[in-house]
Amino acid sequence: MVFSSDLVTGLLSFLFTILIFSYLIGDNPLFRIAVYIFVGVSSGYLAALAWWQVIVPRLIYPLVYGSVLEKAFTAIPLLGAVLILMKISPRLAGLARIAMAFLVGAGAAVIIAGALSGTLLPQIAATINAFDLSAASARNISVVEVVFNGAFILAGTVFTLIYFHFGASTKADGSIRRLKLIEINALVGRIFIGITLGTIFAGVYAAALTALIERISSLINFIGNY
Amino acid sequence: MRVLTTVIAIAAGALILAGYFFPALADVQTLLLNWAIILAGVVVLVGISNLISVHTDKISRREKGSAYSALLVIGLVATLSFGMILRPHHSTMKIVMNGIIIPAEASLMGVLTISLLYAAIRLLRRRADLMGIIFLSTAALLLLGSATLPLGDIPLIGTLLRPWVTQILALGGARGILIGVALGTLMTGLRVLFGADRPYGGN
Repeated sequence: MVFSSDLVTGLLSFLFTILIFSYLIGDNPLFRIAVYIFVGVSSGYLAALAWWQVIVPRLIYPLVYGSVLEKAFTAIPLLGAVLILMKISPRLAGLARIAMAFLVGAGAAVIIAGALSGTLLPQIAATINAFDLSAASARNISVVEVVFNGAFILAGTVFTLIYFHFGASTKADGSIRRLKLIEINALVGRIFIGITLGTIFAGVYAAALTALIERISSLINFIGNY
Repeated sequence: MRVLTTVIAIAAGALILAGYFFPALADVQTLLLNWAIILAGVVVLVGISNLISVHTDKISRREKGSAYSALLVIGLVATLSFGMILRPHHSTMKIVMNGIIIPAEASLMGVLTISLLYAAIRLLRRRADLMGIIFLSTAALLLLGSATLPLGDIPLIGTLLRPWVTQILALGGARGILIGVALGTLMTGLRVLFGADRPYGGN
């Protein structure tokens, strides 16, 4: 008897969906079996991806087939890789710090650049552009509407940032509190944060609901087809 | 060792960061980032070997739940072996991806529907303060406003209130949170580059 790949995929998909949905009646061994296999399979897949898409093309291939210069440049990460592998041995784990320091330094530089050019500057620019009257008139939006909406966006941004200001001073009675003005502004910021988190919650809930409907539909289709 | 690791972290970070501002250093930046990607790949492999070692230890000590650990190790070793021999784009690996990984992820996401609903009810019962009410009423309003009903959008909620809440009020709050997170990230990165924080074990 020959099984088509579609049948095997459908059968596995059906089985894992049922096992995971069994969580709806409470934590049980079937759910755990599915989750442990899922973690194992995902980790194995990730390791295979890391090997074939990172280690082989970027490290092994240049070392074997590259020019002398490429081999010389690849020898350094090879040394780093050997140092990281020392982490497996508790006695030599300290040597891995050298390679980890390089990774942390590189990561720090990337996140600084990412935070600046990917979030901070674009978000500030977008908050300013909310008051762009010329762009609004090109889209036939009234000045009052632009200023009104822009003011709410600016207020939301500023009050939310004020909420995260935790600088405080010691009062006469010894208690440590924020300034009254900061406290009032932070309260408005909390309201904006509540609305934002509620919006995110609704978005996540809608996505989860879509996934649930898709899975139920796939179960019905599988039963219908086979 | 402490000085060496700090110097390596600062030098690597400074050179990569400088590459963003000075085009002459772009090649050095690319080279260093390539090294970082290789090392990150090796770190993934070390992490997964650690996962195997933790679970094989659990199995050998016959701890509670070791049968689940055995399933994890079998699944991991089988997938890794197939992946190494056949490569990740092989049709067998596609069966693994489309038959186990994607359905399991989607099902866990589906189960989240019930978990989130339960969490929302618990929040209302345990912390019915101003924040809880704002949070849940916003979520309820948006879900109601985006619901596909036979009559179409609910007047006022679906056509006016929902767009205004998501595109103006929530946008302002989200922007504040994003700028706050970016400032925190920037500070964390700068502390590493100045050697004030040494998460690589330099104390």
